[in-house]
Amino acid sequence: MIWQQLQSLVGSYPLALRGLGMTVMLSLISLVLGTLIGFGLGILRTGGNRLVSGAIGAWVDLIRGTPFLVQIFLIFFILPEFGIELDAFTAGIIALTNLAACFICEIVVAGIRSVPTGQVEAALASGLSRWQRMRQVVLPQAMRIVLPPLVGQYVLLIKDSSVVSAIGLTDLTRVGWLVVQRVPNGLLVFFLVGVGYFIVCYPLILLARRLEQRMGAAHGEVQL
Amino acid sequence: MTSNRSKNGAGMIEFRGVNKWFGALNVLKDITLSVEPREVVVVCGPSGSGKSTLIRCINGLETIRDGDLVVDGQRLGDPATNMTRLRTEIGFVFQSFNLYPHKTALENVTLAPIHVRKIPRAEAEKAGRELLAKVGLADKVNAYPAQLSGGQQQRVAIARCLGMRPKIMLFDEPTSALDPEMISEVLDVMVAVAEEGMTMMVVTHEMGFARKVAQRVVFMDAGAIVESGTPEEFFSHPKTDRSRAFLSKILRH
Repeated sequence: MIWQQLQSLVGSYPLALRGLGMTVMLSLISLVLGTLIGFGLGILRTGGNRLVSGAIGAWVDLIRGTPFLVQIFLIFFILPEFGIELDAFTAGIIALTNLAACFICEIVVAGIRSVPTGQVEAALASGLSRWQRMRQVVLPQAMRIVLPPLVGQYVLLIKDSSVVSAIGLTDLTRVGWLVVQRVPNGLLVFFLVGVGYFIVCYPLILLARRLEQRMGAAHGEVQL
Repeated sequence: MTSNRSKNGAGMIEFRGVNKWFGALNVLKDITLSVEPREVVVVCGPSGSGKSTLIRCINGLETIRDGDLVVDGQRLGDPATNMTRLRTEIGFVFQSFNLYPHKTALENVTLAPIHVRKIPRAEAEKAGRELLAKVGLADKVNAYPAQLSGGQQQRVAIARCLGMRPKIMLFDEPTSALDPEMISEVLDVMVAVAEEGMTMMVVTHEMGFARKVAQRVVFMDAGAIVESGTPEEFFSHPKTDRSRAFLSKILRH
């Protein structure tokens, strides 16, 4: 019995690879985009403009305060009502990117605010422009604070990508649902699905830990 | 009260009736003061008297409520004044050094010349090495701030200002955060800068420095300039009770 199930599972190998590929692809694209947008939002949020800062803050709170599943449904099912048709993959990317950007924005804001005001004043006094102050003085110091939680956030977002199976994307989680209909052993199937996610996430968990240790004992940087 | 020594009516730094408030607190009261090119002015007074605020206004780290503040011929707060441009002409040395911790001594000195003045990197690094040698840190070019003593960090900070070839240098209690044995190495560098003809305003209680290079000592209390004169006049014949009380406290030890 279990032998037959295992054989059947081995037969699902190409489907499982496709699912893993989809999960990695979704995560990779949305994490890259989300990181870029998240840094942009974080920099704007700490900039001088109250209106921009307030708008970003409100959006981030809204996204952080609603379930990701609901956000996906809104994008995938509600937007077409307004004439915006999206395929499931695009909808998934948009939802994940938006979520990643919002969480990363908060991490970046915390990092930027951790840089002592004396640093900004020194840069200001040397005549550095706003962008030069950010690029040369603030961001490099903020990265010490930002990097470990950023990588940790990547792990959370990769796992959150499983929610996109709800709109029919054949990611690792949905492959689990498909396979379990042929192989009626939920425990075994979803154990393997879990292993798949863990293989993707574990290197990042190790990286986050390494970064945390390295940042703690960084050479040439003051413990301010 | 303050003699206006300017020949053509416009000094390098001109305060005319400047007022500033922090909330309800009047931190600068009707300040009128003119600093000539190449003049060295020492500002002293009890803590909370507005000395730091006074010099922080000059490069726009603080903004003024009313009155006129003209620096190098440009009126602060005027829309025509490019503050970023003006700041490149004004070096500012902080009490707590504020070196960039992620950059080496040399990189601290060359950052603004490369990015603001657009000087080619090789040229900026050559000038930076010379400046670090000048402040006695030729062997610390590649050291990070965390590897330097307070006195060394402050000398790098002065070199960082000099790298921009400023017209004015402002010092905000440059030796107050230093251990006593490091104070003189920083003061020596400041004396050398003064002797080269830099226009300087120095907030300090280092009276030896004031006697040596200052043309004028300005005494502030409660946001106002109470007294101003040559170091000799001020230290030997203080005119007001408040300056006498202040001097008796700082000269006692």
